[in-house]
Amino acid sequence: MAYTVPLILRGEIVDEGGISFGGRRGGASFTAPDVVDHLDRLALSAPSRMADLYDLSFEDIVAYLDRLGTLLDPHENRYLQEAFELSRLTSGLSDPILRYHYGLIPDYFRAETVRDLAERLVGIDYLEGWVEQPAGRDPRTKLRIRAMGARAVHIIAGNVPVVGVTTVIRNAVTRSDAIVKTPSNDPLTTAAIARTMIDMAPDHPITRHVSVAYWKGGDQRIEAHLYDPRRIEKIVAWGGFAGIKHVTQYLQPGLDLITLDPKHSGTIIGPEAFADEATLQAVARRLAVDIGALNQEGCVNARVVYVQSGTDEAGIARAERLGELTFAALQALPDHLSTPHKAFDPELKAELDALSFVEEEYRLFGGRRNEGAIIVSRSDAPVDFARMLACRVANIVPVDAIETAVRSVNSYTQTIGIYPESLKETLRDRLAFQGAQRLVSLGGAATLMQTPSPQDGIEPLRRMVKWITDESADAGMMEAQAIREPEAEPVAA
Amino acid sequence: MSDFVQALAADPQSFRDANYDAGFRLSDAEREQVQLSALRKRFAELRDRLPVLRKLADEQGIDRIDAIDDVVPLLFPHTVYKSYPLSFLERGQFDRLTRWLQNMTTTDLSRVDVSGVTTIDDWIGALAAGSDLLPIHTFGTSGKLSIIPRTKAQTIITPTINAHCIRDFDGYRTGPDILVDHMPLISPSYRYGASAIARGMNLMADIYAAGDALFLYPEAYFSADVASLAGRLRAAEARGEQGQIALSPALLARRDEFAKREADRPHDMDRFFAQASERYAGRDVFLFAVWPILFEWAEEGLKRGLKGIFGKNSILTTGGGSKGKLLPPDYKERIFEFLGFSRHFEFFGMSELMANAPRCSEGHFHFPPVVITFVLDPETGEPLPRTGRQTGRLALMDLLPDSYWGGLVSGDEVTMAGFDEPCGCGRKGPYLESTIRRFSEAQGGDDKINCAGAPEAHDRAMDYILERSA
Repeated sequence: MAYTVPLILRGEIVDEGGISFGGRRGGASFTAPDVVDHLDRLALSAPSRMADLYDLSFEDIVAYLDRLGTLLDPHENRYLQEAFELSRLTSGLSDPILRYHYGLIPDYFRAETVRDLAERLVGIDYLEGWVEQPAGRDPRTKLRIRAMGARAVHIIAGNVPVVGVTTVIRNAVTRSDAIVKTPSNDPLTTAAIARTMIDMAPDHPITRHVSVAYWKGGDQRIEAHLYDPRRIEKIVAWGGFAGIKHVTQYLQPGLDLITLDPKHSGTIIGPEAFADEATLQAVARRLAVDIGALNQEGCVNARVVYVQSGTDEAGIARAERLGELTFAALQALPDHLSTPHKAFDPELKAELDALSFVEEEYRLFGGRRNEGAIIVSRSDAPVDFARMLACRVANIVPVDAIETAVRSVNSYTQTIGIYPESLKETLRDRLAFQGAQRLVSLGGAATLMQTPSPQDGIEPLRRMVKWITDESADAGMMEAQAIREPEAEPVAA
Repeated sequence: MSDFVQALAADPQSFRDANYDAGFRLSDAEREQVQLSALRKRFAELRDRLPVLRKLADEQGIDRIDAIDDVVPLLFPHTVYKSYPLSFLERGQFDRLTRWLQNMTTTDLSRVDVSGVTTIDDWIGALAAGSDLLPIHTFGTSGKLSIIPRTKAQTIITPTINAHCIRDFDGYRTGPDILVDHMPLISPSYRYGASAIARGMNLMADIYAAGDALFLYPEAYFSADVASLAGRLRAAEARGEQGQIALSPALLARRDEFAKREADRPHDMDRFFAQASERYAGRDVFLFAVWPILFEWAEEGLKRGLKGIFGKNSILTTGGGSKGKLLPPDYKERIFEFLGFSRHFEFFGMSELMANAPRCSEGHFHFPPVVITFVLDPETGEPLPRTGRQTGRLALMDLLPDSYWGGLVSGDEVTMAGFDEPCGCGRKGPYLESTIRRFSEAQGGDDKINCAGAPEAHDRAMDYILERSA
């Protein structure tokens, strides 16, 4: 089946033919209008056209999103149904997981969810108006601050459908103007939301400040025009190193790049895991969730797992027992969390196959077809293909000292799942120095994200807005600066 | 049944001294007979002597080969010859590396002495000193080099067969026999090393050129350690993690040697051109290099006002594609303008294989019958039928090696044809169309350094060592 991906330009839908693109994986292809033909309308022509967003109150925005959420039930919404069908072909997530995540979409838009997000991640008063700051050193001066929206391009990732959802919500609460560049492995979900917005309220300012476009990342005809401080102020880029590196060539003063970089995540497990078989079983279950949730398509998922089991014979045996239990737990995960991977990476498969040629070094559980695998290293070194781990394949690495695990952490490390809790407290400062950005209880790496919080060590929403200051002072005090008074003491700065 | 078929069926290595072209004149039945009986021979010889093959055969419950496709479950993944952990190298555990390699070969490695060995180069030297191996290494993906346990006796096979390919390309003994009528060898590369190309060059300098050879770097050694670092650097760069590479003390200790080579490089280039145009001007020579290197060389030469330097009957052999390098559309013309001749033979091959596939006038690659070709379903790994035109993963069974297993599933996506009809060039048997690409490329990325990119990667790795240790 051929899919048509519309170009959505501030409330208008362009869906006549255009260019054909091959999707990733399943080989599904789609056509989309050539964005070059519509470049003049892609960016907001003048920043003053942001004004309509300021006729809205924050509660108007909340009400809009809340109503939108009720229209995004995947059982009812035909645009989302179409996006789901295409994602079934292009996503690394299998049907039950995709269905579960599409089912969660309306919740993100609920009034209380949106208010909570805005309050925690920016501050509703700052979004709503000019907030007077506590008095400074000179009582004759006043400082007020407001968080104002910006014109931004969002280059979003397609590994999970929530990225597009979050982008639309963040754009609305910050009163910004978004051009969402969708990924080839999910070109329709964000477009489906935008089309629903058009059906619901075609002339509403929030609808008119969202554009959704697909072009092949790196298309200079489009990017050289668009990534220009005259047209946009910010670029929010999710995704791979090559993609972000590519964007950096357009950076110049006036253009702010917010990167949600490629990351990898890991696990550190202390010796307490081996207290008894029941504890180990529980640890294995929690570890299986960190590995398998979202079919390991997220950067939050566990891949290399350091375990302080010891590296002597008994230690290796303990690590292997954990490997065996974890593999079994992985196979038993509920369908909405994880299933065998539908497009198992053939290169990774070749690496797994080659492990049987070096049996003394590694013990492999699973890995025969697409069921996933746990590789237990029989020394304190991860497998050489650690960076390829995906499709529910993880590597348990036994260590004598927790230091070895701490040293493996760097600025590309996003999440670390830790067991037990006390170890998290002991290690958290050191892990943070090393570069880790998120420390979670084992089992929560991919699932503990209910409370809005910083992301990848930054606060993206606080960076998506412009923090504008309004400083006032007593008129006499301002004028006095111009008058020469030789005898007077200099005015304090 | 002809003597040729009988000989090949009994001993595939008899192909070394055979009529090369006869391999492409076999009927389907003859080819199958040769391949099946040779395959049975190799399986019978190696099954119980190679631990890795025995294990795989046991797991698959395979005791005998009744049909060619029976061997498919026994083909090794292409990662097998680099399945050792990198930590062996990082931690200097060369005894364990030797034990690992022993699993892959029937050659006795028990007398190999690794005391004092700190680098891959040293280890390869120790293997050659303490056993019958003369191993070769690849250029390495992500810094891991495959180590192929080729023996001293086997090294002669590949250049001999290649020479016969040239001699018999348009029919038995219709072309020059370079093994008899020697030609000077010109190589814009390293004189020494254990890479497949460096080993081949060394041997060709003897058996094709009787010692009359001109190398760009006549004293230099193409270091496996530097090649490994080059791969790791490239992979790290692609991920933006360049700062994370640790240089081993053993490699740093060789810094002065590298620095000297760097300093000599411009001088080497001058000397190379001077000698090429003085000593070999107008003479028929044998030249072996990949297209991108030739192009660089030609540009450099043309810039110096040199063109048409060699004799009209010279021979160029090439291959390796131009992946990763953008060459202008007229690159071949530029190269031939500089060289002064255009007779060339292009091959598709791999370091792991002893026999390569020449490219014919139709642009197709033909493996001689001593290499069985398979196209596998990329999803299931099952062999696709030998009819029509099939696209999938290339797998090969090289029947020439008698001390290690020649069965390999490649990382290449290919289209194969020629099952029903002979090629337009007249050769019979299956052939590969020219659209060969890595599977990782098909999936949107390629971090393999192929032969074409190797020297440049090697140079950059040396720069890195020099910078880091300055």
